[in-house]
Amino acid sequence: MLDYNYFIENFEKSPLIIQVVWAFIMTIIFFIIIITIYLKYLRSFLRANEKLKNKIEKEYETLVINYLYAGDETDKISSEQQSIIEQLKSNIFETFRRNILISTLLKLSYEISGEMAESLHRLYIQTGLLDYSLSKLKSRKWNIIADGIRELTLFHVKEVQEQVKIHINHPKTEVRSAMQLYLVNLFHFEGLDFLNNITTPISEWDQIQLLEVLQLHTNQRVTSINLWLKSSNESVVFFALKLAKIYNQYGVKDELIALLDHKNIKIRIEVIHLLSYLNIIDVKTILKNKFKELTLEEQIAFFEMMENLYEMTDKPFVMEHILNTNFEIKFSALKILRNLNIEEFNRFKNLTVEPEFVRIVKYIESN
Amino acid sequence: MKKIVLAEDNSMLSMLLKFRLEKEGYTLLIAENGKETIELIEEHNPELILTDIMMPYISGLEVISHVRNKLNNQTPIIVFSASGQEEIVLKAFKLGATDFMSKPFSPNELVNRVKKILR
Amino acid sequence: MTFIIHFLFFLYSFMIISSYIILGIISVFETVEYMKKNKFVNYNKILSSNISPSISIIAPAYNESLNIIENVRSLLSSHYANYDVIIVNDGSKDDSLEKLILAYSLIPVDFLINEQIPTQPLRNGIYKSTNPAFEKLIVVDKENGGKADALNMGLNISTNKYVACIDVDCLLIEDALLKLVKPFLETTDRDVIAAGGVIRIANSCVIKQGKLLDVNLPEKMLEKGQILEYLRAFLLGRMAWSRLNGLLVISGAFGLFDKKIAIEVGGYDTNTVGEDMEIIVRMRRYMEEKKLKYKVAYIPDPLCWTEAPDNYKIFISQRNRWTRGTIETLRKHRKIGFNRKYSSMGTLSYPYWFLFERMAPIVEVLGVIYFSYLIFHNQVRWDYTIAFILLAYLFTVLFSIAAIISEELTYHQYKKKGTGFKMIMIAFLEPFVIHPFILYAAIVGNKDYYFNKKKKWGAMTRKGMAKA
Repeated sequence: MLDYNYFIENFEKSPLIIQVVWAFIMTIIFFIIIITIYLKYLRSFLRANEKLKNKIEKEYETLVINYLYAGDETDKISSEQQSIIEQLKSNIFETFRRNILISTLLKLSYEISGEMAESLHRLYIQTGLLDYSLSKLKSRKWNIIADGIRELTLFHVKEVQEQVKIHINHPKTEVRSAMQLYLVNLFHFEGLDFLNNITTPISEWDQIQLLEVLQLHTNQRVTSINLWLKSSNESVVFFALKLAKIYNQYGVKDELIALLDHKNIKIRIEVIHLLSYLNIIDVKTILKNKFKELTLEEQIAFFEMMENLYEMTDKPFVMEHILNTNFEIKFSALKILRNLNIEEFNRFKNLTVEPEFVRIVKYIESN
Repeated sequence: MKKIVLAEDNSMLSMLLKFRLEKEGYTLLIAENGKETIELIEEHNPELILTDIMMPYISGLEVISHVRNKLNNQTPIIVFSASGQEEIVLKAFKLGATDFMSKPFSPNELVNRVKKILR
Repeated sequence: MTFIIHFLFFLYSFMIISSYIILGIISVFETVEYMKKNKFVNYNKILSSNISPSISIIAPAYNESLNIIENVRSLLSSHYANYDVIIVNDGSKDDSLEKLILAYSLIPVDFLINEQIPTQPLRNGIYKSTNPAFEKLIVVDKENGGKADALNMGLNISTNKYVACIDVDCLLIEDALLKLVKPFLETTDRDVIAAGGVIRIANSCVIKQGKLLDVNLPEKMLEKGQILEYLRAFLLGRMAWSRLNGLLVISGAFGLFDKKIAIEVGGYDTNTVGEDMEIIVRMRRYMEEKKLKYKVAYIPDPLCWTEAPDNYKIFISQRNRWTRGTIETLRKHRKIGFNRKYSSMGTLSYPYWFLFERMAPIVEVLGVIYFSYLIFHNQVRWDYTIAFILLAYLFTVLFSIAAIISEELTYHQYKKKGTGFKMIMIAFLEPFVIHPFILYAAIVGNKDYYFNKKKKWGAMTRKGMAKA
C-alpha cells in the first residue's frame, strides 16, 4: 500500500508531460487488453463459423445433388424434388445459410448446362432465393446491389431486366459492370445495346468478361458494330475492335481505315493489327505512303502486317528498311525479303557487319 | 462393370457425374488432381478416362501424355476444358485425346458420349 | 542545447508514430474496399480466356538443383490461359540444367533475341520441351551475371505484354497471375506500370505437389518474428501506400510489370543489391518525367509463399543487403527527394523512405549513444526515460496486435487453435528478440556501404544470387 501511495505522490509531483505520457500508457494498455480479448473471441468465432459452414455446405451439396438426380427428364418437379425444396426453403431464413446455399448452387452452375442447369435455376426460384436477390437490388450499399445482380445473372432471371437496367449509370464501376454482364449473359448481342450511349469507360477486365460470355453462345448473329467503331467513348471502340476480330467483320473495312487517323495511338495500333488479321490488303498502300509520319510502334505494327500480306510489289519498300535501326523492323524486312526472293536476300546478306544484322541474317538462314 | 476414372477438382460436379454414370452401370473412380489421376489409372487400368484440363500440379495435358507415351495405353480419354481454350484443346488432341467437352456442359450429353465410346 | 536534442528526438518519434497510425488507418479503409470489390469476382472466366493479355513468368535460378524440378512444375501449373515460363539458369555450377533437360524433355532451339538490355552472354543456349504438355516452358542457360542480369535476359526473351519476375523457390498460389493482372486490366484512368502482392512466409507450412496444404506457425522465435513483421508491413503499410500511389518497392519475390516500360527504362540495374526497389523507383521517375498518369498497384491477397531465413546469420546478411539496397536506390535517385516536380513521389514517398526507413536505425543508434552519455554523466531523468520507453514499446505492441487483427479479419491464414495466443506473445517479445538484430544488420549495412566497397561489389558477382 505504501508503494502505491508513493507512486501516486510521485506522479502528482511529476511535470505535466510525464503525466500526459502516463495517461497515454494507460490508454494503450487498456486498448491492448480489449483488443486481445477481441482477438480471442474473433478467432474462436471464425473457427466455429468455418466448421459450421463446412458442415452446412456438405449438407446442401448432397441435397442439391439429390434434387438434380431425382429429376426425371421432363420439366415437372417430382415429389421427391418438392420435398427437398421445402427442406431448403425452411432452412434459409438466416443470411449465413442462404449465402452458403447460393454459393453451393453457383459452384455447380458454372460447370453445367442443359436440363440440369435449368433444373438448378428452378431450384433457385422455388426455394425463394430469387426474392432475396431482388430485395438486394434495392439496397443502399453498392456491393449488395452488385451482388444481387450477379445472382440474377447466374440463375438466368430474364424477367427482371427493367429493375436491373435502372443501374445503368450507377456511380460505382462494379455495379455497372455487373449490370452489363447481366444483359450480355441473358440477351447476348442484343444485350450490348448499352454500348450505344454509355459514357463511362469499360475496363479491359470487363471487356474480356463480356467477350467470354458472348463466345459461349456461338450461333448468334453479330449485330452491326459500325456505330461502336465511331463511338466517342474510346473503350467502346476498343471493344468493337475486339468484336471485329473475333467475329471476322470484313464489312467494317471503311470504318477501320478511318480509325487509322484516330487520335489515340493505342487504337491506331490495334487497328493496324486487326486490318492485318482480316487480310485487308489495300490498306498497305495507305500506310506505306505515310510510313514516315507514323510513330515507331505503328511502323512496327505495319511491318508485322507486311509479314502477313507481302507481295512482290512491296520489294522496293522492304529493301529500304533492311537497315532500319529498329530490331523488329529490320528483322521483318529481312524475313520478307528472303521470302520474296532468296537470291536477292543472299546478295544483300553481307551488306554490313553490324552484329545485330549478322545475327538476324544467321537466324533467318537457319530457320 | 466398366471402370471410369474421373479427374475433376470441383467436388460437386464429380459427385453429380458419379451418380449419373453409376446409374448407367459404370464404376467411377474419382481423383481430385493430376497425380491421383495417374495413380488411379495405373492401379485400375480403366476403360475410359475423363479429365479436366486445368488441374493443380499435373495438368490434364500431362495426364494424356503420360497415358499415351509412358504407359503406351490407348484407353479413350475425354477432356473437359473451359470455353475459349481452343488452343489447349488442340494440344490435347495432338497428345491423343479422344473427345472433348467444353464447360459448362450438359451432364446428359456427357453420358451419351460415354455410352457411345464404351459401347 | 540539451533541450534542442531532446526536442529533435521527441519530434522524430512523434512523426514516426503518427505516420504509422495514419498509414494503418488508410490501409484498413483500402483493404475493406478491396475486399468488397473482389469478394465475388469470378476468376474462372478470365483465366481460361485467350483474349487475356499474355504474361511471361521470369524466374532466375542459381544453383537450385535440389528443388528446381518441383519449382518449375509448380510454376507451370498456374491457372492462366496465356502465359509462358522463362527459367534463366544464371551460370549455375550444379546440375540444374541437366536435370531440367531430363525431366522436361528439353532440346536446344534456335532463338533470335532482341538484345534491348545488355546482359551476360548465353552459355549453352535456349531450350524448349518436345512434349506439348510443357509447351509453356523456356529454359535459358547463360553465363553468371547475378539476379538482375538474369531478369534482364528474361525481359529480352519474353514476347509477352507483361512479365512476372519471381524467385524460383517461391510458391505461387494457383490464381496469383490472374489476381495480379487484374489491377492492370481494370484501371481505366491511368497506366498501371507494376503490381505486387503480399509475400507470406512458408516456413513450417506443408507444401505438397506445388500446393500449400497446411499453414503453420513455425517454432523458432526468429521465424515467428518475421511473420509478424511481414504482416505489419504488408497489411498496415503497403496497402496505404498503394492508396496514396506512393509505393517505392515491390518485393523481388513476386511482382508483375509492364514489359514495355521495364525495357524502356533499361531493365534491372545490375550494380545494386536492391534491384527490386531500384527498378520501381526508376520506372516511376520515367513516368513522372514523361508526365504520364500512372500507378504502382498492390493487392492484399497472399499470392506468394517463400522460405524466410531461419538462422540469425542468414537473416542478418539478408537485412544487411536490404539496407544497402535502400541506400543505393535512394542515393541514385536523390534528385527526386523533396522535389515537387515528382509530385507525391518526391514530396511524400521519398521523404518517408529517407527519414523513416533509411535514417531510422541511425537515429536509433544515436539515441542509444546519447543515452549512454547521459548515464555516464549521471544526467538521466529516469522518470522521463521510463515513461517514454514504455510508451514507445506499448505502441509497438498495439500496432502489431492491430496487424494480427486485420489478418484475422481478412485472410485468416493461421487457423490452428492456440496460434492467436502465440501471436500475441510474439507481439510482446519481438521488440526484444528480433528488433536488435534488425538494427544491428542495418548498422553493419551502413558501414559496409560506406567503408567496405569490396563487399558491395563482391556480393553480386561472386555469390550470384543467394537465397533471400
